[in-house]
Amino acid sequence: MTRLSLEHVSFWYPATDTPALADVSLEVAGGEVVALVGAVGAGASTLLLVAADLAPRVVGGRLEGAVDFRGRGNGEGGRGIVLPTPWTQVSGMAFTVWDEVAFGPANLGWPREQITRHVDRALARLDIAALRAREPATLSGGELQRVIIAGILAMDPALVLFDEPTAELDPAGARMLWRLVRSLAAEGKAVIVATNDLDALPDVADRVVWLEQGRAKKIGPPALLAEDALCAAGLGTAVAVVWRAGGLPRPYPLTVDDAVRLWRHR
Amino acid sequence: MTRLHPFTLLALAAALVALAWLLPAPWGAAGTLAVAAVLALFSGAGLTPGASPGSTGTGMSPGWRPGLVVLRTAVVTAAPFWLFLFILHDVPTTVALGLRITTMVASVVWLVAVLAPARLVEAMVAAGWRAGTAYLFAATLSAVPVLKARAQRIVEAQRCRGLSPRGGLGPRVRALRALALPLILSALHEVDERALALESRGLVPGARRTPLAPPPDRGAERAVRWALVALCVAALVWRLA
Amino acid sequence: MTDALRLERVSFAYGDVTALAEVSFALGPGERAALLGRNGAGKSTLVRLVTGLRRPAAGSIWVEDWDTRDRPPEQLARRVGSMFQYADQQLFARTVRDDVSFGPRALGFAAPEVQQRVGRALAALGLEAHAAHHPYDLPPAFRKLAALAGALALEPRLLVLDEPTAGLDRALRARVASALLERAAAGAALLVVTHDLAFAAETLERALVLDRGRLACDEPLAGLLAAPPRLEPLGLAPPAVAALSRALGLPGAPVREADAARALARVAAGRRAPLD
Repeated sequence: MTRLSLEHVSFWYPATDTPALADVSLEVAGGEVVALVGAVGAGASTLLLVAADLAPRVVGGRLEGAVDFRGRGNGEGGRGIVLPTPWTQVSGMAFTVWDEVAFGPANLGWPREQITRHVDRALARLDIAALRAREPATLSGGELQRVIIAGILAMDPALVLFDEPTAELDPAGARMLWRLVRSLAAEGKAVIVATNDLDALPDVADRVVWLEQGRAKKIGPPALLAEDALCAAGLGTAVAVVWRAGGLPRPYPLTVDDAVRLWRHR
Repeated sequence: MTRLHPFTLLALAAALVALAWLLPAPWGAAGTLAVAAVLALFSGAGLTPGASPGSTGTGMSPGWRPGLVVLRTAVVTAAPFWLFLFILHDVPTTVALGLRITTMVASVVWLVAVLAPARLVEAMVAAGWRAGTAYLFAATLSAVPVLKARAQRIVEAQRCRGLSPRGGLGPRVRALRALALPLILSALHEVDERALALESRGLVPGARRTPLAPPPDRGAERAVRWALVALCVAALVWRLA
Repeated sequence: MTDALRLERVSFAYGDVTALAEVSFALGPGERAALLGRNGAGKSTLVRLVTGLRRPAAGSIWVEDWDTRDRPPEQLARRVGSMFQYADQQLFARTVRDDVSFGPRALGFAAPEVQQRVGRALAALGLEAHAAHHPYDLPPAFRKLAALAGALALEPRLLVLDEPTAGLDRALRARVASALLERAAAGAALLVVTHDLAFAAETLERALVLDRGRLACDEPLAGLLAAPPRLEPLGLAPPAVAALSRALGLPGAPVREADAARALARVAAGRRAPLD
């Protein structure tokens, strides 16, 4: 069931002439993970803000085209977005991590028992139950990022948007996060994630959107990340890039396993 | 003291300020200042000994130290006003206005020290205020500590690039100037980012927040608050008559 | 020749939580070390100690012949260029150029020298096009580069960087890599805190791994990346190129992309590499 559809969406930030998004059309269904890849400034963050209904509503600017979200309004069954820098999304009003995660659900006006249930569940999912009594100001960058993600998930959104979620996480944390992304999709949520961690995407994404200067240049399965054009643009997986740089012929392998298989059959 | 209901603390601060201006100077002002000073001294009272500063929500450690810090901050903040008053007015007016301003400053500094923004939000939300309004009040309250923390980070970054905040008057003034503009600009920039971030956390206009841990309100405290209001009204009436 | 950086049994705690416990290591001039470990292992704390913002509770830190306990950060800045995790909180001028020139100016260099240093730093990171912009008008990735340029402009003998590539795309990571390699070639020692093992493999040669405040590993990076059983207990995993090298049995076990590509080409041409 389509949760989000963008039809010929163009977006201009306030007082700019060049569009940050140009004629982007995309549909995301529940249970699907869509990855946005592109160079910095290509429009991934902007697309997420538009999908989250924060642009142009809060950010300002001008939007053309149609953005259609089928959820149950804001919050529960609504849209949640995890911004790229956790320390800006902290409430600043919480004594403990538990309170911080509960900040969102409380703002939605849920009854206390529902809040507790969702918060405890989110803490467990992000593996930070042990931090529940800690003060947010004492957390490391990676710990804080987990707390913020928990805070968004605790609001039980139907569409979850992630902007560089692994930027502050260590490798173990990153692995946990990608597993979490897949489990969110398995629950029926629609997930869009903008990331530079291309090597993780073959196991995580159902579809990949290649953004360049605000346009959706190509949309396809993760195998896109082994295509010549993307490798040339610096958007291939490391394995594909190395294979190509070694002068070996197409098709380039996407993952180490693919490479081993190709190698054996040479 | 931090365990008092947030509205009580607000009422105390507001009453002190109101009375400082309503009561005849200099004795009235001196009296309210004395009360404010006493309140400030006891800022740390009631905090569990050994509690970590963060867990109190106000960043204070138990004991007398917070009280002394509050007093010192109040005096330092009020000092420039005394200087200007002394230049502009005669002695009686200087004393009268100076005492009143110092009371105001002391009350505000005390309030910021003892009232945790999170508790204020909880109290307001429990009393029926909208989440956005409550957050606005609380953000105003935490504005100073937040700016202080931000200033510290900027100073650290500047020090790591070779700027010395110490030394004679010249370097200190330069350092201050190097701090002022970035502080304001980054604070303004953060307001933008905050608005976006808080919306993403559900703090939308009109949101009705569920109180998670509403501070308990005792009958005695409510009585005290009404008494303070009555006192201020009486003072106003008395002055007008 | 004095070490660029030497830690002798450095310990530090936040209240009763141990952040660093008896950490000792030394970096020579031009040496490039990665400071690795899980979130909360003490890496950022170590960076703050080296810059002099905090003093170690025990042990000593030497930047060449200076004891960091005796010198304030503004003095250490003559030898140590640093970049912290939260770039936004380190930018404070109205334009990128002004921000980058802050350091050299504060250190007392003459205007022409300042301009040259700033020019070099901006060029190294490809920031000339953004030099006149306000830092807050730039996307977060470019703000990070601006903060790094500020450290580079000091042209210090020791660069201590905390997550310089978090959130950067491949092209920008390559810019950072080449800028750092160029500095190291000029004699600067590098201590880079990073989760990005792929970047570390490209740029750095030595692995210092912190585990719960202790230095669990101090060895050549390439060797560590080629040994997954040792990486796992430390919360690390081999980056794709190292994994590929291992899986295909590439001669020399290259961990850098260019080296792996060359090895692949050679082997493919010779069709001689055994698998495993």
